[in-house]
Amino acid sequence: MATMRASSLDFSRRSLWTQLGALPWGLILMICAMAMIGVAILHSATFTNPEEAGLPMRQATRFGVALGVLLVAGLVPIRWWFWAAWPSYLATLVLLVAVEFFGTTGGGAQRWLQIGPVAVQPSEFMKVTLTLALAAYYHKRWSDFSGGFMIHLPALALIALPAALIFRQPDFGTTLALFASGGILIFLAGLWWRVIMAIGVAAIASVPAIYFFVLQDYQRERVDTYVAQLTGQSVNVMDDGYQIEQAKIAIGSGGWTGKGYMEGTQSQLDYIPEQHTDFILTVLAEEFGFLVTSGVLILWMVILGLGLAIALRAASLFARFAAAGAVATVTFYILFNVAMVLGLVPVVGVPLPLLSYGGTVMITTAGCFGLVCAAHLGRNEPLNTGA
Amino acid sequence: MSAKRPIDGLFSRRALIAAGGGTAVFGGLIARLFQLQIMEHERFEVAAAENGVRLDLAPPQRGRILDRFGRPLAAHRQAGRVSIVREQANDLPGLMAELSKHLDISPERQARLISDARRQASFQPVTVKSELSYEDFSRLSVLAPSLPGVQVEMASTRSYPRGRDFAHVLGYVAKASETDLERLSEDTNAQERAAIRRLFKHPDMRTGRSGVERYAEDWLRGEAGFRKLETNAAGRIIREFDDPSLAPKSGRDLYLTVDAELQKFAIDRFGSESGAAVVLDIETGDILAFVSTPAFDPNDFVNGISSKDYAVLRDDVEYSPLYHKAYDGTYPPGSTFKMVVAAAALEAGVINPNERVYCPGHYRFGNNTWHCWKKRGHGSVNMHWAIKGSCDVYFYEIAKRLGIESLADMGRRFGFGQRWDLGLHGGRSGVMPDDAWKRAARGEPWYEGETLNIGIGQGQVSTSPLQLAVMSARIAAEGKIITPRIIGDGPRPDADIPFDKPLDPEIMQRMKAGMYGVTSEAGGTALRSGDLGLGGPRLAGKTGTSQVRRISAAERATGILKGENIDRRLRDHALFVAYAPHDDPKYAISVVVEHGEGGSKAAAPVARDIIAEALRIDARRSPTYLRTASTGSSTGSGAR
Repeated sequence: MATMRASSLDFSRRSLWTQLGALPWGLILMICAMAMIGVAILHSATFTNPEEAGLPMRQATRFGVALGVLLVAGLVPIRWWFWAAWPSYLATLVLLVAVEFFGTTGGGAQRWLQIGPVAVQPSEFMKVTLTLALAAYYHKRWSDFSGGFMIHLPALALIALPAALIFRQPDFGTTLALFASGGILIFLAGLWWRVIMAIGVAAIASVPAIYFFVLQDYQRERVDTYVAQLTGQSVNVMDDGYQIEQAKIAIGSGGWTGKGYMEGTQSQLDYIPEQHTDFILTVLAEEFGFLVTSGVLILWMVILGLGLAIALRAASLFARFAAAGAVATVTFYILFNVAMVLGLVPVVGVPLPLLSYGGTVMITTAGCFGLVCAAHLGRNEPLNTGA
Repeated sequence: MSAKRPIDGLFSRRALIAAGGGTAVFGGLIARLFQLQIMEHERFEVAAAENGVRLDLAPPQRGRILDRFGRPLAAHRQAGRVSIVREQANDLPGLMAELSKHLDISPERQARLISDARRQASFQPVTVKSELSYEDFSRLSVLAPSLPGVQVEMASTRSYPRGRDFAHVLGYVAKASETDLERLSEDTNAQERAAIRRLFKHPDMRTGRSGVERYAEDWLRGEAGFRKLETNAAGRIIREFDDPSLAPKSGRDLYLTVDAELQKFAIDRFGSESGAAVVLDIETGDILAFVSTPAFDPNDFVNGISSKDYAVLRDDVEYSPLYHKAYDGTYPPGSTFKMVVAAAALEAGVINPNERVYCPGHYRFGNNTWHCWKKRGHGSVNMHWAIKGSCDVYFYEIAKRLGIESLADMGRRFGFGQRWDLGLHGGRSGVMPDDAWKRAARGEPWYEGETLNIGIGQGQVSTSPLQLAVMSARIAAEGKIITPRIIGDGPRPDADIPFDKPLDPEIMQRMKAGMYGVTSEAGGTALRSGDLGLGGPRLAGKTGTSQVRRISAAERATGILKGENIDRRLRDHALFVAYAPHDDPKYAISVVVEHGEGGSKAAAPVARDIIAEALRIDARRSPTYLRTASTGSSTGSGAR
């Protein structure tokens, strides 16, 4: 293949150091800053409990690993990503099917697959590989065909297949994430407005059906609690409503400037379950107040904006879609988590990237931004598909 | 760049629309944050700090552990606790100085507490002293209102009113360590695990570390609840709501089969010796006394033992107070094993009980010489005489005729080589060796000469005092299968008893006759211990000596070193197994006096006195938990 020779020449011409220097360092430094903020909040959220004393250090170590993943992924030439798109998607799909049969159960859901000594969660890989597959699909489609409604149906199938498998685990949060970021890509690929409208109407109409027939009992309970607290009814303080109510008290009592680092009464007295994982934002809001918390959200907007700018500058459709999809995935996490903590959407276990304690989302986030970096380095490559 | 395609412009337009949408959502979230943090700030600030109705985790009261007559062995007591709260204290060092006028707090500890308080969140209490005496508690309670920042409160603590008496049986409780938490949350999902962690983080919560406390953790623990409290702005509790639906559920009481008075008597009888004793009710298998001495005081562990004190217990290898000698200790059974050998020989038919074996004081086999404890020899002895005089040569001979396999088989039928699962953490199986065992353990075949050693209970065979007591009980009951137990009413272990082939009653009667001879006929080795001092009934038993070292030919020639002439650690262990009354057995006992040298001299009198006490106080009379109507709980689920 001609492209193969060209690419290997290309690679030898530009040294690794040059490549490293050409990475979008502004973006990477902001990501590092965000992770450091995360470690500091984690310290405050956990220091009263000696058994959790090691968590901030472990989180910092994990970010070190994640940064390595980001840099390595970023240095991988964009055409390698392109070639790997379909095989990696199919491989992840096979793993998801394997989870169905051989997966191990953790926290009530069958999500993990034990391969030798390591436990992997294929649904996490799928967030990246689905983006790659959709990007590769539209790249090819738009090179030999000029749009139309029908080209989006295979894309929908690409999303629905893994989403259905993950929903069965059950993992509602990840299912939503796949549909959200995949949907954004279909939108970017030019789905007609009238179809978008129709889907919107259908979605609203199907809410009752989903509530009664698709959701499991515990998921339905969460939705009930959510509606109850939105409409101001008193909720059972012992259940899920307790968590939301305590989170709101923690956030609301923070005020403009917060109660001071490690001084949050709500956070330090263990009122809030999961406060070092999904509900980490409550600690930030209580101890640092509105100014810093909204500052952190704005920092996220800048990071995501820089990612999107990279997507827009890329020459190949693959790089554009891949980077945009990666940004969309992380954006979904942030928006959903913050909305959940602020009591605007039901509590679905979605962590806050780079701030919540946990290794899985850290690596997924690093993979996403690695892809963005790769798109940046390969922004001038046309990636012609042998036409 | 390739030629412009319609998609390039479309993608950019759509991306900007999506970015606009995303920004709008971000803006919405920031607006919501503004609403909560700024507009509704006052409401939430009030909710957070003022007049908060708070749900505090309330740990359950741990179930008590009682003896067979309902005497508490593990209970709880209220203890005063004083702590300081930095937020409420104006001057921390000043407050500490004031407190140290009333309590004995070393300057190092004062500095430590101040730095602890400064490191923690300002409103979190730091415990200054947790075991206040009644006087200290009342004095500080009076002073507290005038010392802002000082909190005095009562807390429930595990206590062991019998102190050392039941240290090894009960084990002890301690604050859950990381290892404990992992063990406690085995087989649980993430939610249960979080609940367990939260519960065991509570300062009043403890978990069983050994003994019954550990084994019956689930039975004893109970279920956590909540205290519904109204607090003021400073976090001080104004009142407590009474809400029975939130109250914690106490753990269940657990009855043991032991008699606390008999146990105490037995421990006192040992004096300063180290050793073990087990008393069994022959009819039921109830363990009435389970003694391992010296012991430790489990009360020392409840609030965390200092590493210095712990090291003293741990490093005492000679008396090993942490070790449950009656259950975890194994000793060669010595001559107490001879009934097993004799029974095996009779059942296999390798000897007639009236056949005489000549004992010249030694026995030759191959190129080696085995010695009888009686240097001059017993002369010509039949089985009865061999048992009561404990003739080694006789047993070398019948062991040789038997071979190790039949011998080991009989040993296992008496319960040797298997662990009795009593529902206590620990317990050892000892070794009932045979060819297969030796090949697995040593990689060598069995040598016939070794069978001779096993014939007199020395060499590879090792047994726990519990196993010896069971052997004695099975003989006394003329072969009836007796299974020891110590959990009277509580989570009983599954009785999994292998090798339960009944023993021939006729053979057992011969063994009993031999044991009676030991204590009550001319030529018996423990004549002085037969009289129980109760008038009629006598004791029947068997002495034993468990060799600690090998005796060289040179030493044998010059005279075996004993008593004052030899280091305590090299002296033999003294053993005695017995039952009483001899004509209507009620109790079986085994006694091991470590480094006590002679079974008849050191162990038999101890066994005699303990069994006489058991008879005197009628320790085996029906236990409380069978008499009370509420025995429905005895069918409750077992612990893991």
